[in-house]
Amino acid sequence: MRLDTRRTGFSLEAPFYTDPSLFNLDMQAIFGQHWVFACSVAEIPEPGDYVTLDYGPYSLIVLHNDDGGVNVLHNVCRHRGARVLTDPQGTTGNLVCGYHSWTYSPEGDLIHASAPGEMTFDKSCYALKRAHGKIAAGLVFICLAEEPPTDFHETAKIFEPYIAPHELAKTKVAYQQNIVEEGNWKLVMENNRECYHCDGHPELACSLFPTWGLTDETIPPHLEDVWDRNQQAQASLEYRCRRYGLPYEVVEELDTRVGGIRISRESLDGAGESFSADGRRLSKKLLGDLPDFRLGRCSMHLQPNSWFHLLGDHVITFAAFPISASKTLVRTTWLVADDAVEGVDYDLETLTHTWKQTNLQDKAFVELCQQGAASPFYEQGPYMKSEYQVEAFINWYVQRMREHVG
Amino acid sequence: MRSSAVPALPLAQRVRGLEMPWNRVLSSASEPAGAATALGPWHPQEFAAECVETIPEAGGMMVFVFRRMDGAPLAFRSGQYINIDFPIDGPNAEPVSRSYSISSAPTEPWTFSITIKRDPKGKVSPWAHDHLRPGTVLDMLGPVGAFHLADYDRRARFLLLAAGAGITPLMSMIRTVHSLPGQADVVLLYHGAAPDSFAFSEELDFLANVDFRIKVIYCLGDRECGDEWEGRTGRLSTSLLDELVPDANGRQVFACGPEGYLNSATELLRTVGVDDTSVFMEFFSGDREIRAEYAEEVAIAGEIAEEIAATTEEYFESQPAALDMYEPEYDADGPVEAVGAPTEAVDAEAVVPVDAEVEIEVVGVTDENLAEAGPDSASDAGSTVPAGDGAAASAGESGDDDEIAVVDPAALPTVGQGEHTMSFVRTGLNVCVGEDETVLQAARKAGVKIPANCQEGMCGSCKVVKLDGDVEMNHLGGIRAREIDAGKFLPCCSTVKTDLVIDA
Ligand code: FES
Ligand code: FES
Ligand SMILES: [Fe+2]
Repeated sequence: MRLDTRRTGFSLEAPFYTDPSLFNLDMQAIFGQHWVFACSVAEIPEPGDYVTLDYGPYSLIVLHNDDGGVNVLHNVCRHRGARVLTDPQGTTGNLVCGYHSWTYSPEGDLIHASAPGEMTFDKSCYALKRAHGKIAAGLVFICLAEEPPTDFHETAKIFEPYIAPHELAKTKVAYQQNIVEEGNWKLVMENNRECYHCDGHPELACSLFPTWGLTDETIPPHLEDVWDRNQQAQASLEYRCRRYGLPYEVVEELDTRVGGIRISRESLDGAGESFSADGRRLSKKLLGDLPDFRLGRCSMHLQPNSWFHLLGDHVITFAAFPISASKTLVRTTWLVADDAVEGVDYDLETLTHTWKQTNLQDKAFVELCQQGAASPFYEQGPYMKSEYQVEAFINWYVQRMREHVG
Repeated sequence: MRSSAVPALPLAQRVRGLEMPWNRVLSSASEPAGAATALGPWHPQEFAAECVETIPEAGGMMVFVFRRMDGAPLAFRSGQYINIDFPIDGPNAEPVSRSYSISSAPTEPWTFSITIKRDPKGKVSPWAHDHLRPGTVLDMLGPVGAFHLADYDRRARFLLLAAGAGITPLMSMIRTVHSLPGQADVVLLYHGAAPDSFAFSEELDFLANVDFRIKVIYCLGDRECGDEWEGRTGRLSTSLLDELVPDANGRQVFACGPEGYLNSATELLRTVGVDDTSVFMEFFSGDREIRAEYAEEVAIAGEIAEEIAATTEEYFESQPAALDMYEPEYDADGPVEAVGAPTEAVDAEAVVPVDAEVEIEVVGVTDENLAEAGPDSASDAGSTVPAGDGAAASAGESGDDDEIAVVDPAALPTVGQGEHTMSFVRTGLNVCVGEDETVLQAARKAGVKIPANCQEGMCGSCKVVKLDGDVEMNHLGGIRAREIDAGKFLPCCSTVKTDLVIDA
């Protein structure tokens, strides 16, 4: 378990994927210190709407407050520690603990505790603990650190112009899928950061070019035709983006900043509109004020736990929430225009089909790796050229861990 | 063209999307006032209208401006048509019935106009051109038709495709967009047979000049034309669309013209990626099937008009869903939501015998030179229908148990004292209550079980649903405005104002 002498370009040593004490360290150093993607505003559209999030040892309430921002509260009652809100999502005025009915304001202040005979009880000492919350372009981030990393506003400045035109505040959740993968959260992220394995995604292959991550030099002969089609589609996408003033350039700072990010707008195969078999739209209502359905996919990767696809007709957000060293909750949320009507403007099965299938395939890949990491004969393996983003993720992770350990 | 001495103005700021003014009238809780009443609800009516003006237009067309004899404005949606009885064979003979699109905007409802192209072989159009004069009064039925702009459109990006006289309903749409605020983006691609055949071209040029939201492109098809022609040439084609409207893909397309033109447009639009559900077409042709559709729509409109004439109120209650094609939704009190009702077309596939009595003239182009007959594709685009904004009125949450609703509060035993009665329909008890007592106190005294904790309106644990009556509530954050709107309240911090019915 050497952080100082990591073998660059190779996967981590097995304990990083299996050891509970390293998992605890991950929770402190990564999930306890950095900005973590929580949800989109579409999941908490109105004041009083909340979601509860659990990861590692933490439990949090993310509540849309009356000022249009978010309050992030530790979901740990200050009386005897019960979970204050137990539903995964809901709407509330004040927050009432179900155990002895201690009542907290949406700001977390303890405003009521029935206390017959308590002469010296000082409510002001028992507010719910708060954490940091931030909304950027309709995405909600939270940070448990006392002093959150300061470069996040620069990261937000990078992604806002890409994401804002999709107007997430005018979307609604069409579907949300929670799957628990029997794998370490880093394996989930590693798997997401490459398309080397994309042959294993037949549904996705219809719209996603299998040349993702490749370049002119690395393109294999059997993909040359696809590469040409990809190049053409990309050129016409970029032409449209310039016309509509939409940014598309690749910005890649995955391990060169604390708020690690990669964002770009890339073409899709077929009609180039959405993740469907023929590339056509899956929802008939355009998002935001977008003028055209053929906007490919704006894809964003954020360290440590999220990735996103934003299309003309819908948006998919992905978040990984670690449960234990070998278990991770992967949450996928499909957003459509808030005036799109299910069954009229979109068919839920069709809308979600590609990524539901892809997620299951990815889950299987991640679990295969987790099993491998548990074998005494597991040895670090090399990341290939097309897996440079995996390397970047691991490099980012190792740097953050080193900083934390000091 | 703006003179160079005029300094450039900053771009206008507008609200998102296009909203028809009657939405406000119809969704207003108070009684729609005065003249606004006349603007909705609209439904086909039989009325008489007087011609007040005739204006010659290019392309052998004539604009006839009318006003209703009863003084009411004509309420319609931009793109609809009316059916008119022409007394061609004299006042005592059976009139000849024809349908014509309205070319004026519904935002100027006090007069309305139709535009008729003279068809030398036709029966009605020459008569209209020769005999219809200011002072002539005609019987009409309308408005009819599912080809129209939506009442509310958050994404008001339109591609209007017109060929020849097909400009008529689209002219109404352009005038409407121009007359309303709101972000819109309109491209009109207008095909004509000859340089001097473009009706309304001066007004269109003017609108395109003064309104940055409107773009007009004239196109001559692929016939020879002189050097002085500054517009485009070429049939409707994918390359023409790609060049002139490269974002057609994200627009709603309204197309009107002869059948061949529209059939080829259907194919082309598909090719450039416009979704079928974003394409709305009005066939201006004498095709038998289309005449049948028009006849059927007019017949239904006539029935509706008769029913309304009989009794407006009963009509609102009895209107079958299938006929709900021109209407916002109604209940006994009138319209419930202006933007809520998707319009619905008459089934285009239905085979309807053409009624010899209801003769439908070809209102549009008969000039074969113009018709850009496309491949003989099936006209399956039919009369597609603009989808209304489907957001349904969110009904307040009420008791989840239907049986509760049938409990008659008067039949319940009554306890307590006070000037108001609270009927707890689940408990099955009437509790009298004074004005200085909270609902919770009185309920508890009477043995009604309502969980409660803080008793100060903070924790929300006493929240119940009020089925009827008013309370005064002084809560401390235990309830959300949304929940109050849904009929909930906190009995611990509420006193009664009227008799109550409570779902507890
Ligand atoms: S543990 Fe929450 S009130 Fe007692
Ligand atoms: S008892 Fe707490 S709000 Fe009524
Ligand atoms: Fe994958």
